Amino acid sequence: MNFFRRQLPLLITLVTGLVFAAQYYVPHPASEEMLTNVTKWLQIIGGFALVLGVTSLFHIHAVKIRRREPGWGYSFVLYAGMLGTIVIGLWHNGKEVVNGTMTAFGWIYNFMMVPLQGTMFAILAFFIASAAYRSFRARSREAAVLLVAAVIVMMGRVPLGEYLVPLSGDLTQWILNVLNASVRRAILIGISLGAVALSLKIIFGIERAYLGGGKE
Amino acid sequence: MTFAERMLKIDRRIIFLVIGLCTLIPLLYPVGLAIKISPEVHGVYDYIESLPEGSVFLLSLDFDPASKPELYPQAVSLLRHAFKKNLRVIGMTLWLPGTGMANEVITRVADEAGKVSGKDYVFLGWSPGGGSVIINMGQDLYKAFPTDYNNQPTKDLMVLKDVKTLRDVAYVVSLAAGTSGIETWYVFGKDKYKFELGGGCTGVIAPGLYPLLRSGQINGLIGGLRGAAEYEVLIDQKGRAVAGMDAQSATHLAIIVLVILCNIFYFMLRKSQGRTGQQPG
Amino acid sequence: MPFEILLGAWVATGLTLFIFTFLYQDNPLFKLAEHLYVGVSVGYAIVKTYDTVLIRLIYEPMVKQGDWSLLIPLGIGTLMLARYVPKAAWLSRIAFAFIVGVGSGLAIPRVISSYILKQVEDTVRPLASIVQGSPSFTYDLLNPASNLNAVVLLVGVVSVLFYFFFSIEHKGPVKVAAHTGILFLMVAFGAAFGYTVMARMSLLIGRLTDLIEYAEPRYGLASLWLLAVTVTLLAAWSLTQRGKAAPPADG
Repeated sequence: MNFFRRQLPLLITLVTGLVFAAQYYVPHPASEEMLTNVTKWLQIIGGFALVLGVTSLFHIHAVKIRRREPGWGYSFVLYAGMLGTIVIGLWHNGKEVVNGTMTAFGWIYNFMMVPLQGTMFAILAFFIASAAYRSFRARSREAAVLLVAAVIVMMGRVPLGEYLVPLSGDLTQWILNVLNASVRRAILIGISLGAVALSLKIIFGIERAYLGGGKE
Repeated sequence: MTFAERMLKIDRRIIFLVIGLCTLIPLLYPVGLAIKISPEVHGVYDYIESLPEGSVFLLSLDFDPASKPELYPQAVSLLRHAFKKNLRVIGMTLWLPGTGMANEVITRVADEAGKVSGKDYVFLGWSPGGGSVIINMGQDLYKAFPTDYNNQPTKDLMVLKDVKTLRDVAYVVSLAAGTSGIETWYVFGKDKYKFELGGGCTGVIAPGLYPLLRSGQINGLIGGLRGAAEYEVLIDQKGRAVAGMDAQSATHLAIIVLVILCNIFYFMLRKSQGRTGQQPG
Repeated sequence: MPFEILLGAWVATGLTLFIFTFLYQDNPLFKLAEHLYVGVSVGYAIVKTYDTVLIRLIYEPMVKQGDWSLLIPLGIGTLMLARYVPKAAWLSRIAFAFIVGVGSGLAIPRVISSYILKQVEDTVRPLASIVQGSPSFTYDLLNPASNLNAVVLLVGVVSVLFYFFFSIEHKGPVKVAAHTGILFLMVAFGAAFGYTVMARMSLLIGRLTDLIEYAEPRYGLASLWLLAVTVTLLAAWSLTQRGKAAPPADG
């Protein structure tokens, strides 16, 4: 039994990891067919992963309602919104529009979900302005460099900035294309090396954190 | 408390009000300053312009409603351009919450251009899996999306005639708000299936995509609302993005002024506390 | 105007204003809209997942086209859900092992090719060009492909990598390289900040554009009426909170 719980998962990771890394270099029809099938499977498995993601949310708010914790009424609103959307969505077969006509599911999406999500992120505009005022100070030479670069880019990416300081547009292009690109490239190379190293550690069973959860 | 200290501890709601007004007033009373076109936006425009009629153009709308103000106008402009050039358009999304919005924008712009679903364009919908969806499309497009958003078998659609895999697509543009997005399309798509790739993205992720632009891995980049405004100017159909540019200018200027004021007060405070031997916060 | 559109405009405006009340301080109107947002979003995700995965990717290909090989991913997906059955939770490891194994295998060669080789290749370009048989050096800063920019790019990449990777004491030439890396990093962070400001302001512009549209008479002046209602509700709530709550934290 221990083999199935401990060694088998590691063996599966080792074999699938090596096979699919090697597949990249083997363009044989059989190898390509295997890639086609398995990536199709991953699409389906990806759907199950989404189910896992929402389950904890169900649990947290169900507990809040059951125990009548402070703010349980809001959890009730959450459940009502969710169940209402599910019922209406299933009724319309998950379609926002049928034959050019908006369904009730489409109405919920367009007039509730889209403005709510949009506004949630739009209020960040106010907080970034407040944060800039409170913390964007030239305390050191490095901080001053950061500040000057930010001001140039903010000027150079809007018509008024380019109108007031015509050079700011070209300077912004240079910062983005050369200075910024070089830093981002170094970070990209560094992260990629790290990702490849981690993938190899996973394949060879050195990194096992992903197997966490589930009793031995 | 000194003047500088008082100013640095100003109620944040005053700053909120300044930003709100700087956004609202230019939207109500636009000025219409000229917008310069950047080479990265030109890259996408020029490539679509060079495609012969009937070429296959895939637009992946990889964003959710949170990024709608930046990426929706980009989608509108790109679709208008593609339909004007009589390209065969494939729409899809790798982001579940963006499905309804992606379908709406494609249908709306297609109707506006008099295009027919299934014949001139198709919306494939959403599929989970990110990179694996792209690989699967590269291997067998009909298998990755057996039916389109309207439940029509993709094999029977005229617009997808002879489009068996991503190798048959002339140009892919991913409008991305993060991962899965432009990088995913390169790593799992272009690297092996060799189509040309362009990108449109939110302002937040734009600087991170310049290494790919420099190395030619993407042939153009439309960054944020400003990029969308540039594209609207290029296709000569000004819309929401151009309309928003004055407000964008005003808010940027407001933030720059706030940063300058903050530093003036900071140095005033440092100077006064330097005299008394205290450290400013 | 169709009734559902008019109603939609009023609902969208009301919910937008409820979220904006957070700028004053946290309050029940915001919390209501926030929880509704989470509920509707999760509901939407569940419906889409059901329709796309269970119906379009599993049921139809299996039942209509007889593709029974899809029982394999269905089985692996089900094993993932075993996580919620304590006695069988270990079975989910098999599913995760498969996903992580295939994912790692697929990623390794593609990441090396796309991010490491291609990026290094573009960094180590010739630092001078040959024009009509003789070497030349182009100084055009606005042309990202000029020789001068190639040198700057190379210095930037190397110094930033140097700063991150070499944990030896930064003295002498090492200090110079690391410090150059820091300066490059600061410029990139500044550019990132500038672009983040641009993005956030764009989102606000988008929402305010909608509110302006919904303030038109054809929508029954929805934004104006609902603004008045929201402000009244907020003021009433604020009065009931006097003496109860602490003032909002600055920052």
